[in-house]
Amino acid sequence: MPAKELNNLCMECKDAEFELTVRKRQLCSLCFKRFIAHKVQSRLSVYRAFGLDGPKTQLLLPVSLGVSSSVLLHILNTDRQHRLDNGRPVGYDFKILVIEPSTVAATGVPFDQNYEALQKNFPMHTISRIPFHSIFDYVPEMEGIMKEYGGSKFIDDSTRSNEERLAAFRASISTPTSRTDVDTVLLTRLIVEFAKKSGCESIIWGDSDSRLAAKALAGVAKGRGASLTWQVSDGMSPWGVRFEYPLRDLYKAELLQYESVCAELSDVVIPDQPPSENVLTKNLSIDELMLRYVQNQGAKYPGVMANVARTANKLNPSASDGAPTCALCASLLGNVKGNSGVTVANQAEDNHSSQFCYGCMRSRPDELC
Amino acid sequence: MAPTACFNCKEARAVIIRPKNRHKLCRACFIKIFETEVHETIIGTNLFFPGERIAIGASGGKDSTVLAAVLKTLNERYNYGLDLCLLSIDEGIRGYRDDSLETVKRNAVQYDMPLDILGYSELYGWTMDQVVEQVGKKGNCTYCGVFRRQALDRGAARLGINHVVTGHNADDVAETVMMNLLRGDLPRLSRGTSIVTSSDASDIKRSKPLKYAYEKEIVLYAHHRQLDYFTTECIYSPEAFRGSARTLIKDLEKIRPSSILDIVKSGEDMAALVPAEVRGAGKSKQSGVEEESAGGCGSQNGRTSGGEMAAMEKQLTENDASEALETEIKLPNGARVKPNRGPTGKAVKAQTIKHCERCNYISSQRICKACTLLDGLNRNRPKTAIEVGVGMEDEESSSTLMRQMERAQLSAT
Repeated sequence: MPAKELNNLCMECKDAEFELTVRKRQLCSLCFKRFIAHKVQSRLSVYRAFGLDGPKTQLLLPVSLGVSSSVLLHILNTDRQHRLDNGRPVGYDFKILVIEPSTVAATGVPFDQNYEALQKNFPMHTISRIPFHSIFDYVPEMEGIMKEYGGSKFIDDSTRSNEERLAAFRASISTPTSRTDVDTVLLTRLIVEFAKKSGCESIIWGDSDSRLAAKALAGVAKGRGASLTWQVSDGMSPWGVRFEYPLRDLYKAELLQYESVCAELSDVVIPDQPPSENVLTKNLSIDELMLRYVQNQGAKYPGVMANVARTANKLNPSASDGAPTCALCASLLGNVKGNSGVTVANQAEDNHSSQFCYGCMRSRPDELC
Repeated sequence: MAPTACFNCKEARAVIIRPKNRHKLCRACFIKIFETEVHETIIGTNLFFPGERIAIGASGGKDSTVLAAVLKTLNERYNYGLDLCLLSIDEGIRGYRDDSLETVKRNAVQYDMPLDILGYSELYGWTMDQVVEQVGKKGNCTYCGVFRRQALDRGAARLGINHVVTGHNADDVAETVMMNLLRGDLPRLSRGTSIVTSSDASDIKRSKPLKYAYEKEIVLYAHHRQLDYFTTECIYSPEAFRGSARTLIKDLEKIRPSSILDIVKSGEDMAALVPAEVRGAGKSKQSGVEEESAGGCGSQNGRTSGGEMAAMEKQLTENDASEALETEIKLPNGARVKPNRGPTGKAVKAQTIKHCERCNYISSQRICKACTLLDGLNRNRPKTAIEVGVGMEDEESSSTLMRQMERAQLSAT
């Protein structure tokens, strides 16, 4: 029955049978991968064009061994391979950085096998692996900043190992929201310093569109609205390294689909922990709450959620030449130019406000809430 | 458990846990601190000038009652030299507005302030009850919201007052910020948080002195000062969809009480980062035209119906689909773009401020929203309807609003 067979064909190549449905189109896995890869490459095309006649741009790709960043790596690797095979210019180079997941997550996920699989499946790339507590080596001033930030709740013991000192600092922060917030700030700084030390001009982050929407909403809820211009938008970070989010046009669900048709990734990716069902809202962190919100609403209104990240991406970066910035997260101190609001004045007054931004002050260990 | 001493005075017994920061306070200190914070907002933003005449948009609800009480107290305590009066809008909702207006009338006596009441029937020839009869319970909040905005302006103009203060609180503002982010509405994001909205087109300036005050603290303040306010929500609002933003903010408040204020702070910063071309006529001159058009009344402000969300989803999906059909045109190899393109240069829609051709009210459209809605209402008005005092059958519907306005002004003089 030929008619029936026709119905099962990929809408794009009309050659193979379709395997996946993406954005109401039925595609075979090859065409699906091409569709996803195109969305990513169009975001990075400027780097390619720039590297054709000049020196190649060096990019840093931090890989958490989660789905999104691993898929991004796979896409970039496939593209590179394809270009080299065809004798076409590549345009940019990228290095891979893995911050040891066991030193970040409290649960101590074993990841050695995944890391080995990463090295085995992507042998052409420089892969570096550093623990979270190497932040003391990469950002020497961090020791002092932590002491200042932690206040009376954090007693630093310099005789102990870096690992223990970082653990003590993280433990001094009392709420899940503040802990997640400060962890993100510290990880970002570590990755930025690594990028600078290894000569990378830009960092390409593996945040999916869903993740960016959740980040934007959480950032706003934590008083970090002014920083969205580099935490969610593509743009220059305060450290002089550009941030790019090439997965911004792709939903998390689509990246999961991609992973499912990629044999090379099956050993690399550490699967996401399923969100636990019976957690009281008040025990969640704001980041988790927003992630859940975007997931729940995204099931019904994916476009509306996608639009959140797009809206944030339209904001202008603030003209903050020479304006003082936060010692911890490098966000602007006080208000963005043109904002005459007095929220800052309502904040608890103490001498720390002069060094840390509004958002960081909210996550400080001795902040009451 | 032994009674805890007040965090502030360390003497009296603490009876209140402040929702904002969980400080334990005694009654007197809470009232004092609440008032002082509103005072600091007023001073910090140069909200008033001595001798200024202020109309307080009073609904009889907790927010506007607390606003009137606090402003009266602060005006006397700090010698602002303000001339305060109450301005109420009668939407014509039986069983709700008539009762709440009684509260406002009592407030006028209690606070010794003159009161002026302006009705929808007087202005538009329609009470909300009649509108609901016509359009049904769904979507009537849009009518109410659009009508109210103009009504307050017109009421103030009738009194010769240039500054209307409203009881919008921090929760309302935070809700608006989140809603506008979810809606992707940059123009509203740029003006929703500012404490004052005024424009060149209209002489009436609007402000929200309670912008940094938590809804929960407003309730506590009203309770502990034993203020006389009306608690029933609008009888039509239970029908309204309790939107995403509101739920989200309530959840956030549970996790981190300061987050309401943090959202306000983020909203203020982001407002300053909205590209100038999207803001319309510039930040200081923006009009707030139809700002509450999708909001409706105070209890519904910033929320949107599920239908709207679904409609937006549909629109976005269509955009996406048509984008996929577009053909990409590549520049020749010689023309290269440097990678340091900023997020600027993205297509954004601009808003221009005009005057409505019919009633002369400021609008971004040729015909303002109120006149458009009135058109729809009048077109479908049954000819047999009995109307008292307003004979509009023979009139061009377009001129209705002008005539009603003239009448309203005449009766005031």
